[in-house]
Amino acid sequence: MTAYFDDKDLAHFGDLKQHNPELWAMFEKYYGAAFEPGLLTKREKVLIGFAVAQSSQCPYCIDSYTQQALEQGMTMKHLAEAMHAAASLKAGITLAHGLVAHNVDKKVSM
Amino acid sequence: MTAAIPLRVLREEPAPSRFARRLSGGDRPGELRAGTVRTLQVNVGKRCNQACRHCHVDASPLRTEVMADDVVDACLDVLARHPELTTLDITGGAPELHPRFREMVARAHALGRAVLVRHNLTVQFEPGQADLPEFFAAHGCEVVCSLPHYTAEATDRQRGRGVYEKSLAGLRRLNEVGYGRGDGLVLTLVANPVGAFLPPKQEDLERDTRAYLAEQHAIGFDRLITITNMPIARFEEWLRRAGLHDEYMDRLEAAYNPATVDGLMCRSLVSVDWTGHVHDCDFNQMLEMGLAHGLPQRVHGLDVRALAGREILTGDHCFGCTAGAGSSCGGAIA
Repeated sequence: MTAYFDDKDLAHFGDLKQHNPELWAMFEKYYGAAFEPGLLTKREKVLIGFAVAQSSQCPYCIDSYTQQALEQGMTMKHLAEAMHAAASLKAGITLAHGLVAHNVDKKVSM
Repeated sequence: MTAAIPLRVLREEPAPSRFARRLSGGDRPGELRAGTVRTLQVNVGKRCNQACRHCHVDASPLRTEVMADDVVDACLDVLARHPELTTLDITGGAPELHPRFREMVARAHALGRAVLVRHNLTVQFEPGQADLPEFFAAHGCEVVCSLPHYTAEATDRQRGRGVYEKSLAGLRRLNEVGYGRGDGLVLTLVANPVGAFLPPKQEDLERDTRAYLAEQHAIGFDRLITITNMPIARFEEWLRRAGLHDEYMDRLEAAYNPATVDGLMCRSLVSVDWTGHVHDCDFNQMLEMGLAHGLPQRVHGLDVRALAGREILTGDHCFGCTAGAGSSCGGAIA
């Protein structure tokens, strides 16, 4: 292995199927169905995918969902808004976890 | 001593293109045939006031190639002799810069033909062109305007700094004379990806563009069509420089959609270049492919009826018109 997170790896995602074809088929069906347009449009689902990819810091998914977003007619202006929304939520989540510290402090401190 | 070349090799046909194999769905080359020719597309030259990064014509202000008088006359003669040619589609370059552009439009209009002008919007601000919107309206032209994206950043990245604002000014002028209001003067926007990817779904981009231009700029239009960037000429050079050529071709081929084939523009159009040579489409024209062997190659005295049912010459660039929802001079197909 020469490098982690090589962009060429993405095309071989499906190679993982060989290790458990049954579960893989279930995953593919679920993933495909979840991203079909429903009450949410394809574009909205791609944006959700992009924001999750950013906040989960998955380079494969960021690559894939950036390109999908471009093919949905969005630009880096759109993606910048999405990543700031995701980043600010992450900041809020980090701060919200401060409540645990806050409560523990209240409980054990005099 | 000369090395012997096996006769088998000499007699071998050139390998069919990837596109030709896709067309047949097998290893043998597939065939694409035209129907009745309805549109005469005339590319009057490579002169343009812009030099866009994706341009498949390599047009720019520095280009000097323009259609000569005898070729213009031959095009108008073909149009007059063939009532089945319902549309004259004039393109370039910026076709408005051709000295006989207005005469061609006026004569086609007088013949009762629909005239479609591929208009870059900014040419309205070149010397002597300020009255173009009124001229288009007087001749009932459908104006097909390039606007790669409804945001300034994306459009300027492809077409040059300041082009977006100038394009909006051009659209406002067209709106002022009655275009884009649903009253019969048809204003069509053409959007194409700003990079090595496929265009979005046409109706989605039309909806977003309509909302954005109306809310932000009070601009209206009738319809928006998407066109896939063709991997030839200036865009191909960019793809190769960026190391994206093979990836883009693979992407186009992977998105091959047989449902697009029936609606391909080459099946109902012939395209005349500035020298008077005839081609199956504007893209074949840029590749100087001509028509299939045995067919007339010049517009002078052309019998368009003889081109109905002709074999259309194809190559791997044709994946650009058949990927995804397809792409044609009229936008998405499938």
